[in-house]
Amino acid sequence: MPGAGAPPVIVADRLTKAYGDDVAVDSVSFSVGVGEVFGILGPNGAGKTTTVEILEGMRTADSGTAQVAGIDVARHPRRVKAVIGVQLQSSAFFDRLNLTEILQVFGSLYRSSSKPADLLEAVQLGDKRRSLYSKLSGGQKQRFSIAAALVNDPLVMFLDEPTTGLDPQARRNMWEQVKRLQAQGKTIVLTTHYMEEAEELCDRVAIMDGGRIVALDSPAALIDELLARGFHKAQEARMANLEDVFLDLTGKQLREG
Amino acid sequence: MGPTAALTIVSLKMFFRNRQAVFFSFTMPLIIMVIFGVLNFDAFSEVDIGIVDEAQSPLSKGLVEALEGNPALNVHRGTRDEAIRLLEEGKLDFLAIVPAGFDASLNSAKVEGLFNANRPQEAQVGATMLSRALDDLTFQVSGNDRLFELETQEVNSRSFEYVDFLVPGIIAMAIMQTGIFGVAFALIQLRQQGVLRRLRAAPVHPGHFLVGQILSRLVVSIVQTLILIGVGVLMLGVDIRGSLVTLIVLSLIGGGLFISIGYAVSGFARSEESAAPIANLIALPMMFMSGVFFSRDSLPAVLQQITEYFPLTYLANSMRQVTTEGSGLLDVSGDLLGLAAWTIACFFLAVRVFRWE
Repeated sequence: MPGAGAPPVIVADRLTKAYGDDVAVDSVSFSVGVGEVFGILGPNGAGKTTTVEILEGMRTADSGTAQVAGIDVARHPRRVKAVIGVQLQSSAFFDRLNLTEILQVFGSLYRSSSKPADLLEAVQLGDKRRSLYSKLSGGQKQRFSIAAALVNDPLVMFLDEPTTGLDPQARRNMWEQVKRLQAQGKTIVLTTHYMEEAEELCDRVAIMDGGRIVALDSPAALIDELLARGFHKAQEARMANLEDVFLDLTGKQLREG
Repeated sequence: MGPTAALTIVSLKMFFRNRQAVFFSFTMPLIIMVIFGVLNFDAFSEVDIGIVDEAQSPLSKGLVEALEGNPALNVHRGTRDEAIRLLEEGKLDFLAIVPAGFDASLNSAKVEGLFNANRPQEAQVGATMLSRALDDLTFQVSGNDRLFELETQEVNSRSFEYVDFLVPGIIAMAIMQTGIFGVAFALIQLRQQGVLRRLRAAPVHPGHFLVGQILSRLVVSIVQTLILIGVGVLMLGVDIRGSLVTLIVLSLIGGGLFISIGYAVSGFARSEESAAPIANLIALPMMFMSGVFFSRDSLPAVLQQITEYFPLTYLANSMRQVTTEGSGLLDVSGDLLGLAAWTIACFFLAVRVFRWE
């Protein structure tokens, strides 16, 4: 694990959040080390997004505590927001502004002096500086939200389902993006439905179900543990899958306007 | 740049790049103003006739009653001075003065008729009606006709035309449109798309966004007032008597009120589809019954009483008083009080129902 031995940059301790009778997050505890890519997996309604939103200072937990970069999230949500970068699920940007204008606004919201052109270059949108946000493709919008999340040069990035709805090429492009961010030393918390994505990117994963963490370890250790319990796939694994066929036929080039 | 300033500029860009918003706030009020201004509804309005009865004889009273019984006439009774003042202000089309000594002895009493030169058609109708009533009266009394003479004379009244009535009303209506429709739909779109959600993830108080949104719409209200007055003066020959500063202050007050209503509508409605009927339910009755296009005097008495308390009535009345009579803010303090009461009520309602997600 990168940064092992250093104090963790995220500590969640028995976080609980209920909406009425529905317990969305049930006593969730974990910690994330500096420079780690930490995955939160689980089916829809497992509590992934609520957990992440509590850490982002967007929601308050009913009980339990969370610290990000040593700051208590419940007590100082705005100080936490200032040092993290977020990519939210079902969020968007001003559709009638161009990308440079949007990044300028977010620059003033984060009181940062990052140059929009540099941020766009970092996510390969340098040639879209004057394009309206509404004219971007799905994959470009996701990449742009990473650029917006980088405005304040954050310590920690939260990416909530960054590849949902993307085609295989755009998904792989996003994976490269995440790897580059990790190489720059960012700590990344990422939620996903896609197991191969978690296997490819995450140093450790927490698997959630019904608001609880049911397993937490590195992908390899979790697989080993399953095999050690005598698990056998009904169908023997082949050396390639259909996605490999698809990418072999259509190439890895991004398809967008 | 600070977050409030940055978000105000964003709201202005989003507004002026949105064709629908620009249409409802600028194009539509301009089109309505020009069409109604060119149609000139003066020609169809009731005839206001003044009667000064200085004789107070049974015969003169009979004449007044005969005129009051005429459905085409709107009869105002009063003293000579009052009536002449009304005529000079352009509030009467025709004034008849029945002299002392007008009685059944019928000795050459001249009824004086004064015309409003700016309303020749109405004045002519008034004069015709008066002379007909005089003829009837003569016939009843003596069996002869043409005993009384009607002597007429033109008075150059201040020209109060329909456009002078219309333009301040349209300005008030445009400010209402921007507030209710412009704000509610913009907020609902930003909320549905998840833009508000993303703003809440930033490390500034979300109030900066709300303040920026309000400031941008207030700027729009000022621009609306200036453009509509400019077009009114240049194209329709509207006479603006009051100060532009007073009008801008009223635009800001009215803007604040209708923006609060827009915020409240955005809180009640889940989507743009459900916002449309709510916004129309609020705006349409005001558009037609707050005296924007026609005087509320033409409404049934019950409606006149109810519509007196409409937010748009206060705004249209105060603006009209400023443009047509040159009133200052103190002169319209009654309307200001009404606007203030509505603003406070709607502001607190908006704060209660506003939603980020």
